[in-house]
Amino acid sequence: MNEPIFDLAVAAASFFAGLLGALIGLGGGIIVTPVLVLGFGIDIRYAMGASLCSVIATSSGAAAAYLRDGISNMRIGMFLCVATTIGAVCGAMLAVVLEQSLLAVIFGASLLATVILSLKKKSESPLLPAESDPLAKVLRLPDEMPGASGPVAYGVAAVVPGFIVMWVAGVLSGLLGIGSGAFKVLAMDRIMRLPFRVTTATSNFMIGVTAAASVGIYLKRGYLDPAIVAPVALGVLAGAFVGAKLLTVAPVKLLRSIFLVAVSVIALQMIARGLGISIG
Amino acid sequence: MNSRISIVLARVMIIGTLAAAAVIAAGLVWYLSAHVGEAPGDHIFKGEPKYFENPVGMIQRALEPDVVGQRRSIVMIGVFLLLLNPPIRVALAGAGYLAGRDRLYAAISGIVLAVLLASFFW
Repeated sequence: MNEPIFDLAVAAASFFAGLLGALIGLGGGIIVTPVLVLGFGIDIRYAMGASLCSVIATSSGAAAAYLRDGISNMRIGMFLCVATTIGAVCGAMLAVVLEQSLLAVIFGASLLATVILSLKKKSESPLLPAESDPLAKVLRLPDEMPGASGPVAYGVAAVVPGFIVMWVAGVLSGLLGIGSGAFKVLAMDRIMRLPFRVTTATSNFMIGVTAAASVGIYLKRGYLDPAIVAPVALGVLAGAFVGAKLLTVAPVKLLRSIFLVAVSVIALQMIARGLGISIG
Repeated sequence: MNSRISIVLARVMIIGTLAAAAVIAAGLVWYLSAHVGEAPGDHIFKGEPKYFENPVGMIQRALEPDVVGQRRSIVMIGVFLLLLNPPIRVALAGAGYLAGRDRLYAAISGIVLAVLLASFFW
């Protein structure tokens, strides 16, 4: 295959990964890496580098839209970014010393965990501001979001556990070159009990900042190959954009079920690849 | 954080992302135009050359005529523009907190920015 055709194929596959990611609410990054590794035989380190760049691109686009709508909680986002960026630096340093095969196994396992997390129901009713963690009050984390009939105030629980899970989400982001949005949502939604809309919006703001903390380390280790980063970042960005537009008209529920099964199979293949077993 | 800063921030993020994407796309087309008919050899890991490690190296390489890696350097400049987006986002938010005399969150933004810069210039 010649190089322009190869890059075009990579861009097309990345487009579908971005589209899929936007439609089913997984990030594009966690789908594009296995596609590059399993489908195109690209080294997992280059795949992770390209995926991380695509994560920064899409998160900037998505976060901009949410910021404009005033749903993001910037204070929570910035505070938790302390945890995720430090985690991401740790993760990226770990990534450069770990065996590639082990990375593939951890990647597959995280992908499976992401699928399971996205199957679970959203948290029950959000917290009242008065029920907030005292530390949350000191940090002025409780806020309000726009609602159907005026602003709705919400509280914030369990700041320290949330912060720790965010650190882990950061480690995974740096270790695997993903946005780790599902894990960020886990920390904010389940543990800190934020309203789901606030969680999603704030997580988008954080994903790009988190990814930026490990990408410098990837850059210096030579993980960013321009000939792979370019088609992947452009493809995922375009796919995510179209996906967001299609979200209102597509049969999302059906697509989700089909794709979650497909993503699970990909996760298992990634694990098998790491373990040196060849299947299907 | 007042809504004016949020709107400025949103605009900066969109413009930054689109500008980076445009440079990456232009660089990719130019790079590929020189490699028609060649086999893709990029999928085997061999690291990347030193001049891709920092923006100065990328720009020098991009400006030198007919040198190995010139076209790829344009793509890398686009990638670098993309990577600048989050630190700019954090710096602007920090400036917004500072302007609003919110010392706690100006400091928190400062910590995040410091981690980002440290990881870039390690």
